[in-house]
Amino acid sequence: MSAIVAAPLLVALAGAIGCLLLRSRPRLLRGVSLLAGVGYLLATVALARAVYADGDAILVYYLSGWQAPYGITLVADRLSVIFIGLTAIVSLAALWVSIKTIDASGQRISYHALYQFMVVGITGSFLTADIFNLFVWFEVMLMASYVLVVFHSGPEQTRAGMQYVVLNLLGSAVMLLAIGGLYATTGTLNMADIARRLAEPAAYGIAPGPVLGLTGLLLCVFALKAGLVPFQFWVPGAYQAAPPPVTAMLAGVVKKVGIYAIIRLYFSVFAVASIPDAGGLAVVAGKPFLVVFGGVILVMALLSILLGGIGAAGRNNLDALLAYSSISQVGFIVLPLAVAATTLPGDSLFRAGVLATIVYAIIHGFAKGVLFLVSGAIEDHVGTLEFSQLGGISEQAPVLSGAFFVGGLTLIGIPPLFGFFGKLLVFKVGVDAQNTIGWIAVGATLIGAILTITYVTRAWERAFWGPPNEFVEELTASPSVVAVIAGLAIIIIALGIGFQPVYELANGATSAVIDTDAYVRAVLGPESAHAIGGGLR
Amino acid sequence: MTEVVLAIVLGALYALGTFLVLRRDVVRVVWGVTIISQATNVYLVTMGGIHGSIPIVSHGGGGHHAVTDPLVQALVLTAIVIGFGTTALALVLTYRLYQEHGTLDLQELATTEDSQ
Repeated sequence: MSAIVAAPLLVALAGAIGCLLLRSRPRLLRGVSLLAGVGYLLATVALARAVYADGDAILVYYLSGWQAPYGITLVADRLSVIFIGLTAIVSLAALWVSIKTIDASGQRISYHALYQFMVVGITGSFLTADIFNLFVWFEVMLMASYVLVVFHSGPEQTRAGMQYVVLNLLGSAVMLLAIGGLYATTGTLNMADIARRLAEPAAYGIAPGPVLGLTGLLLCVFALKAGLVPFQFWVPGAYQAAPPPVTAMLAGVVKKVGIYAIIRLYFSVFAVASIPDAGGLAVVAGKPFLVVFGGVILVMALLSILLGGIGAAGRNNLDALLAYSSISQVGFIVLPLAVAATTLPGDSLFRAGVLATIVYAIIHGFAKGVLFLVSGAIEDHVGTLEFSQLGGISEQAPVLSGAFFVGGLTLIGIPPLFGFFGKLLVFKVGVDAQNTIGWIAVGATLIGAILTITYVTRAWERAFWGPPNEFVEELTASPSVVAVIAGLAIIIIALGIGFQPVYELANGATSAVIDTDAYVRAVLGPESAHAIGGGLR
Repeated sequence: MTEVVLAIVLGALYALGTFLVLRRDVVRVVWGVTIISQATNVYLVTMGGIHGSIPIVSHGGGGHHAVTDPLVQALVLTAIVIGFGTTALALVLTYRLYQEHGTLDLQELATTEDSQ
């Protein structure tokens, strides 16, 4: 048992409570919030060092000392750590921009406490090994994000917020329904225990059929969080309504919680299960659950890439364009998973698919962080993001424009930027698959890449080129905000040039996904996992 | 018998909730969401079995009588608290929506979007 697992969670929680207590001392409050952001980064580094200390440790922390599967368990492995690392960097940058740009009264009343609670929820979701606890962390994260979306409290924000709240409340009800059903069918809430039981359903008296249906229901909820078509309706409204640093967090990090849950649950925990032979589904009888998940994810990914890309190409507003682009990019993120699902864990194609998804998720986190922070800085000073009112920003604010340029090019996938490797890996998975789904994925990636080039070019040409008009001449962003945004852009360039360490980290995370056996052993004890070891691999 | 009645009640609650969510009036939509989340809570309780005795050791637990699963009841308590908070927020948002737009009809709310 290692207490370091809870460190990032506790730092953010302490920060949130501190911000609630210090409402009468605005300067101190901002200091505490910033301290919590820096502390979170340090705690993440400490956690990552502990996980990588013996190469491939899976650190487990039993809350209140209750052994799994009876109590709630927190687990930090290489997959959790890579996503928490993304959260630490993007949330710190967005926090600094918040301190500089959110109005003082808003910061004093509730902004920082909500922001820190959102980070608490995100971190908890990445760490927990209990599906009901995952629901609770989702709610912590969402509750804070509801209020942050309506933070500017104008008519537009209220309407977008209402839509966001109602859709997510329905999502929460469905999630609870699926979790209750999974508990009734598998008899446990612990992810490792679920994996152990699903690998040997007969021994535990589990009917795999209902489990498949319930996991399908749960997949809809994660698709809603990730903003995949057909669950994307909340994305454009919420992203335009929220304050820009919050949008950077929503697009950069909160969406990745949905992606993480899909990878963790469907490609590690539920991946060990097979569809029973007896039953009405003759086509997929005897095949692993992954076949069904893969098909569903493929359709959602294709639709997201196309609808998001076409939607983005037609927008006349920078924020709306980026919001639709984010729908399209999430399609790219999950597309390799659909190809991976055609094989079993242990196959090299499965590894390549999960790896591509993790790398692309990290890239998208940084790229969307930069792009939304730049659009936020423009909106703060120019007052609008309509293309008809913009133009010539590259002349007025060269550093901001440069950061946008880097973010845009990394979305397109130009070498030597970070995004190039994401696109490369996605293409490679499709080509290596050598099957119909692989070629469909390659085709969709090509069309999606063309759409990406179209809308990034359009945004660049309409907003950043040309002579500056009288509105744009007002654009004088604070130097420290520009420095933070430029810093994120430099990270994108640096991670592209020095891609090898990122690849190693993502590869380690992929190994953690594939080795369900080790996960079960780490959580439930060494003698518990023989079933899975003898089952699929 | 109890299971059949509960199953019918749950089905009716979900149907009513879905019907309300599809209405044009925002207040009805919020009611619908609330009913669906409450129906989910009832569903969770039934998942623990409804035939056993009270899950307290001195009331027969530990003997040969089966007890109901106490875990789902703990889960439902958590879900009720979360549902309380989110419903309150949804109602506040509904009120603000009326203050700012002067209507709670979703069709009219959508048309004000186009005019801006």
